[in-house]
Amino acid sequence: MEPPETSLDSDGSKLETAERIILRWDSAATDGARGKMIFQSDRDEVDRFLRAVDEIQRSLSSVSFSSSSSSAATTVDEHEVKANSAIQIAMARLEDEFRNILLSHTTTFEPDSLFLEESSSVSPSLCVELGEDTTTVTTEEEELNSPGGSGSSRLTRRRSSYRSTSSIREMDLISPEAVSDLRSIVQRMVAAGYSRECIQVYGTVRKSAMETIFKQLGIVKISIGDIRKWIRAAKVCIRVVFSSEKRLCEQLFDGICTAMDETCFMETVKASALRLFTFPEAISISRRSPEKLFKILDLHDALTDMLPDIEAIFDSDSSDAIRAQAVEIQSRLAEASRGILSEFENAVLREPSIVPVPGGTIHPLTRYVMNYIVMISDYKQTLDDLIMSNPSTGSDPNTPDMDFTELESKSPLDLHLIWLIVVLHFNLEEKSKHYRDTSLSHIFIMNNIHYIVQKVKRSPELREMIGDHYLRKLTGIFRHAATNYQRATWVRVLNSLRDEGLHVSGSFSSGVSRSALRERFKAFNTMFEEVHRTQSTWSVPDAQLREELRISLSEHLIPAYRSFLGRFRGHIESGRHPENYLKYSVEDIETIVLDLFEGYTTPPHLRRR
Amino acid sequence: MRPAQDNQGSFLGRISIRRNQFVDVNNEQEQEDLELFQKHIADRFTELLSPPQPPPSDETNTVASVAATEQIMSVTWLRKLMDVFLCCEAEFKAILLMGRDPTQISKPPFDRLVPEMLDRSIKALDICTAVVNGIDSVRHYQRLAEIAVTALEQRPLGDGNVRRAKRALANLVVALSLEDKENVSGGGGGGGGGNKTTERSWSFGRRSGGSSAASKGGATIGQLKSSSWAVGRNWSAAKQIHAMTANLTPPRGNEAAGLPQPMFIMSTVMVFVMWVLTAAVPCQERSGLANHLPVPPKHLNWAQSLIGIHEKIGDEWKKKEKKGSAGLMEEMTRMEKLGHSLMEFADGFHYPAEKDAAESAAAQVAEMAEICRRMEEELVPLQQQIREVFHRIVRSRAEILEVLEQAGKVSAPVV
Repeated sequence: MEPPETSLDSDGSKLETAERIILRWDSAATDGARGKMIFQSDRDEVDRFLRAVDEIQRSLSSVSFSSSSSSAATTVDEHEVKANSAIQIAMARLEDEFRNILLSHTTTFEPDSLFLEESSSVSPSLCVELGEDTTTVTTEEEELNSPGGSGSSRLTRRRSSYRSTSSIREMDLISPEAVSDLRSIVQRMVAAGYSRECIQVYGTVRKSAMETIFKQLGIVKISIGDIRKWIRAAKVCIRVVFSSEKRLCEQLFDGICTAMDETCFMETVKASALRLFTFPEAISISRRSPEKLFKILDLHDALTDMLPDIEAIFDSDSSDAIRAQAVEIQSRLAEASRGILSEFENAVLREPSIVPVPGGTIHPLTRYVMNYIVMISDYKQTLDDLIMSNPSTGSDPNTPDMDFTELESKSPLDLHLIWLIVVLHFNLEEKSKHYRDTSLSHIFIMNNIHYIVQKVKRSPELREMIGDHYLRKLTGIFRHAATNYQRATWVRVLNSLRDEGLHVSGSFSSGVSRSALRERFKAFNTMFEEVHRTQSTWSVPDAQLREELRISLSEHLIPAYRSFLGRFRGHIESGRHPENYLKYSVEDIETIVLDLFEGYTTPPHLRRR
Repeated sequence: MRPAQDNQGSFLGRISIRRNQFVDVNNEQEQEDLELFQKHIADRFTELLSPPQPPPSDETNTVASVAATEQIMSVTWLRKLMDVFLCCEAEFKAILLMGRDPTQISKPPFDRLVPEMLDRSIKALDICTAVVNGIDSVRHYQRLAEIAVTALEQRPLGDGNVRRAKRALANLVVALSLEDKENVSGGGGGGGGGNKTTERSWSFGRRSGGSSAASKGGATIGQLKSSSWAVGRNWSAAKQIHAMTANLTPPRGNEAAGLPQPMFIMSTVMVFVMWVLTAAVPCQERSGLANHLPVPPKHLNWAQSLIGIHEKIGDEWKKKEKKGSAGLMEEMTRMEKLGHSLMEFADGFHYPAEKDAAESAAAQVAEMAEICRRMEEELVPLQQQIREVFHRIVRSRAEILEVLEQAGKVSAPVV
């Protein structure tokens, strides 16, 4: 029977009922309270329990008010102690309930569903199943590893994956029905001064769930080749996972206790967020080498893309460190890319290989640098923002200088690209000196500069950056090289077809010295054969250029030979063994010229008439 | 966090990047630098060995832990150790790289010594990762202790408060000893008992849905182990340290007079610092750690204080390994002692508390509060410093590899 109500404890019966309910659910008790969860029982039980907790809490608050006026301090103390004891039992119970609800209502989701957001904006070839088909990724990576491959398609792909508008997509990490129950528990725990336990349980459970998600996203073991993988995972992490955690914290804790939602959020995600940034951080401080430039830029772009979301999600004081780290990594990546670019320029300038490429063809350095430059133009949008200072030129007396006066309208990035070509040219000139045959060194320069010009012309983006002024300069250079070649090779040959020195001064008829003529023909034949033998192993890869060069030299050679032959063949034919001297017809010459610059590995047999 | 290999096939991998003019370091200057380096090392470690004496404690200040602020293995001391490491490393790098002809460090004996050193530094990175995560565990213990402190600071101190504290303390004590079981059991993952602990180490307090979370003594086990997912299930801190000591021998003969000497010193310092960190902080699989550090020969002048510190820590470790408790961080050791003591108090508690017992408990609670406060102030900065150490090691590796490449020879995988 309940004791009669007195004025002191008019709520005594209510209090005792409350205590009884709480004791019934004492986790530490040795009877059947274990194994059953209140919140899995019917709703009435839940309501009863929560009301009981509220009742005890109310009595505690009123006790503290009345204690000052009461003379029976010990009695009040006893009441307080008893209520505190009950509250502790209730709180222990609620802690367990809290944990249980969190655990049993955690939504599990397939990792692929997390990536759904990304796949819609990215072409299928970039979509990679987690941990399975890596061939697509490898090909992408290989493409990026060796600068080469079409620029424009890559540009479009890049734009679609990284410039997509950010969309934070929050998911229900805990089923919505559970949220209100959880919140009602949180309210009581905070009111009773047990927020620490609450935060601790929440943090433990959610942290562990976070780690599972991280593993599913494949973030745990990522190596440097996996930048794309990281970028995709990071976007999901930030836009979906972290944002959802934040929302959950707000749903559960906002308005109950100051900054509790922030605390719980940071408790859950801080370690994971820092861990997420470990990868780009490592990239930003690791060794710089030219091949890394584009990976670093990809990373930089992705980070820039994600920064607004990062700042939106980590907007409290306690999350300062994470925001700051993201910004710092971004700036380090920018710095790294600047550094790589200038180191690349230096590297090209000082590239020391002196073994001449056979046949005077395109040097691998030329190809590499031009492909690199084309790729840089792909990344123009990003690099224009990052490259803010002009290239350092002319510091070393042994290096070329660049005249900036005509290039005032150009952005620093454009100047860097022009400088790269200047530097490449300089290096190529040095390399050309290692050919023993000066004609070949001219062919070499002609080929390589022509290649540069073609590469620039073929990419509209790049052409605009380099500008027609410098392009004209380069064109002039290779044409000049062609002219130099012609002089170096053909002047001697054509000299043998001159008129002077053939005529014998005589009193009446201007006769022709047959012996001199024979010498001339012999000289021509020897030289021409020599040219044929050597220069058919030379190479002019570009068909049009090759044709132009042949035509150009033919324009001088053929008429000269035809005229020479026409005028003097009679003299030879009237002598002995004309075939030793009249080896070639004009048609023969024309045909042989077609062998020139074909890059034959072995010289072709010389045809005899 | 483990850096991986880059593919070396590109044409420009062979391009030499010559940025600085290299001048042959003249012998006298080098000798001076080496001697100065040794002296600095000796000085810094001497200071670490004998921290400055604390002021005489205040009569009214019952907190005895003021004197312990800079005790060896306290958080503050560990932070100083990190600073010392960074200073030593900076000085060493200057000696190694500044103004030095790159070909010098690619010829014998450096063609062996340098790759060994670089390999050690990679292993150190793993340790840094593990330790940073281990500190998260310590913060978890701190939180549990704070709950206990909050509860035991209530007045009047009733059954409810004490039970609350007991729950937190039980979690704390279990967490600390669970830590240790995995270490002392001699290899995580092996055998039935090992399997259980490994499995538990993965579960992070996760339970199959719906099961009751209650257990003996009313304490729920809120475990939070050092994240084994960060370094891999089979990773062992002890084994890592042991691997780092491979080939770590003092240079002999005429090698002792030149560059190999500071290389040996720096490597020894690095291994030592990593060893200290793994001893201090909960790390995965540490059994046998005390035996794994080859102590530098006692005759080396610069190493005296370092050896002294090693002995002190080694002794403590051996003692604790027998009794069974986790990290040697000074605050954690005291926290554990206080935890046990307060548990006893809580076990024997009836309201109202007996005066002497209550006073003694209150003093201990105050001490515990002080430890928590110190942890709150210092643990996160310590993590920050270890991250800095990580960065520094990565950077230095990169610089050394670049120099080697200039010498035309790359003998180690590149990042």
